[in-house]
Amino acid sequence: MNHSSEHGGRCKLSFSVNGKRVEVYVFPMERLLDVLRHELELTGTKEGCGEGECGSCAVLMNGVLVNSCLIPALQAADLNVTTIEGLADGPRLNAVQKAFLECGGAQCGICTPGMILASQQLLDKNLSPSTDEIREALAGNLCRCTGYMQIVEAVAQAARVKE
Amino acid sequence: MRSDPADYRFVAPGNLESVMSLLAEQPGEWLAIAGGTDVMVQYAAGKLAGRKLVSIWNLPELQGVRVLAEEIRVGAGSTYTEIRKHEIVGREFPLLARAASWTGGIANQNRGTLGGNIVNASPAADSLPALLAYDAELILVSVRGERRVPYVGFHSGYKKMDMAPDELIRAICIPRVSSDYFQYTRKVGARKAQAISKVCVAALGKVRAGTNGKVIAEVRVALGSVAPIPLRLTELERAVQGKAIDAELLQLARRNTMAAIQPIDDIRSTAKYRSVVAGNLVAEFFEQLRMPTHPRGTRMCGAPGLVDVLARWNVVDAATAANEILPCCGSRAWAAAMAVRRPLAAEAEVLETSDEIWRSLTALDWMEAFRSHPRIGESDNREARELDAKSVKAAEWSEQEQRKVADADASTKLTLADGNREYERRFNRIFIVCAMGKSPEEILSILNRRLNNDEASELQEAWEQQRQITHLRLRKWLQSR
Repeated sequence: MNHSSEHGGRCKLSFSVNGKRVEVYVFPMERLLDVLRHELELTGTKEGCGEGECGSCAVLMNGVLVNSCLIPALQAADLNVTTIEGLADGPRLNAVQKAFLECGGAQCGICTPGMILASQQLLDKNLSPSTDEIREALAGNLCRCTGYMQIVEAVAQAARVKE
Repeated sequence: MRSDPADYRFVAPGNLESVMSLLAEQPGEWLAIAGGTDVMVQYAAGKLAGRKLVSIWNLPELQGVRVLAEEIRVGAGSTYTEIRKHEIVGREFPLLARAASWTGGIANQNRGTLGGNIVNASPAADSLPALLAYDAELILVSVRGERRVPYVGFHSGYKKMDMAPDELIRAICIPRVSSDYFQYTRKVGARKAQAISKVCVAALGKVRAGTNGKVIAEVRVALGSVAPIPLRLTELERAVQGKAIDAELLQLARRNTMAAIQPIDDIRSTAKYRSVVAGNLVAEFFEQLRMPTHPRGTRMCGAPGLVDVLARWNVVDAATAANEILPCCGSRAWAAAMAVRRPLAAEAEVLETSDEIWRSLTALDWMEAFRSHPRIGESDNREARELDAKSVKAAEWSEQEQRKVADADASTKLTLADGNREYERRFNRIFIVCAMGKSPEEILSILNRRLNNDEASELQEAWEQQRQITHLRLRKWLQSR
């Protein structure tokens, strides 16, 4: 990475989002969250608290779960970002998304994209997580309406299906 | 008010030298930002003093944990995820590994760095008491060169530290701890996850034989969230040296702790609560240090409800211990022998001991373990059996292990059922296979092959499969809370 904005002002930044190369012209300190939502119109990523506590804005950066409200755009340069929009294969939802639907793991939907990406990250590394492992993986994602039972159940079901 | 990104300069030169020259050219004007878990929060709230930021995220010079003979050197840019997962850190520096697991959720552990935690200098940071207790040292670097300073004394006041504006932390050096230390850490917060501490303790201790029983050889006690900076209780440490751990000493420890700290009332707790709890935790450390059973100095306390499985199991009575571990294997003789072999220090020792005992048992005991499993492909027939709490655990594990088989199609299940029956006719017991991760087809082919075994070699195979199942279950059990 060797990008800089010599005189303040916007800089040209390229990275890949959901497998597609994109180029944006943004301030280097713009939050990745805002770049995704406003520049790229990927509004699946939600803003909850805006200070890294709630996990609503979680995305994967080179496969690693991060809160996009805490990522300055410049630090995403040249990386691969996966948002909630990148999980489904066209109209076909992936296993985690399906399980959330089937188990009633969503209500208002604000926390759901972050929950699903955090679950995805867990299942990428652990094929059959215990309930405690699921709870720990989702500890950084807050849900204020449905409670956590159905969400945990959805991850367990996704794990069963994926195996 | 929220910050306007147009007001900020932000550069990412990509190597340490360029970052250092920038810091040297305009000292105090540039703020280094690594994973952003603290800086971006202040930025979003419009509370960043400066307008120039330089990225040190992913700088190769700040990465990685180097393991040397006398110490480990943790690159200041190491994330909590890296620290938690590091084998040597987990084994030798459990106080640090545990603190890393307590810091934020997974997404923030993926970005938050140890160096960042030190310079952010929150009195409530959980990793800082651990670094104090381990006598860590910092390597600071600037264009003027490197210097090495003890971490004790690095923080001189709230958010003040012994660091020039052109300096960066390059690495945190932690002397390797000999295994005869007892290590204790405990955090008290409002919730298990993501809660900032009300009080956090990290401590090490060693006892030696005195004229009238054991006395304290050395202790190191550090506290977080009870003063403007993380505190080492050096006076207490000196005061208890050479003393026996009795009621009087516990009183002294409490008094001394409460006198040394300066807790405050804030949104998370009150000064009074913090004071009492800090005294209690330090007393608990000494009480546990006294206990003869602490397994080679690695008993760890967690946040409430997060108590280490092995630590708890090591100290309950033998019958309870045997009962608890029984579902991992199914043989009562094995479970009783495991309970007798306590205390066990770590996963590796649990697994080794299990193998040793498993080998020493009789065929009758092995059969008892084999009988404790449902037939392959029938693990979902729960209603068929009366289940007590222990069997529920075993049944849950069987279900997880046989998950792939449970999802097999009907004809595969029928073929498996036929194979099972044939096996039972031939060998007079159920077919045991470590099913975890194996497809129904793989299991069928293993079953067909083993049907051709003679009695002796088949017993050997079943025995080995049960050994593997026991390992899997012991691991699951150790990870449960």
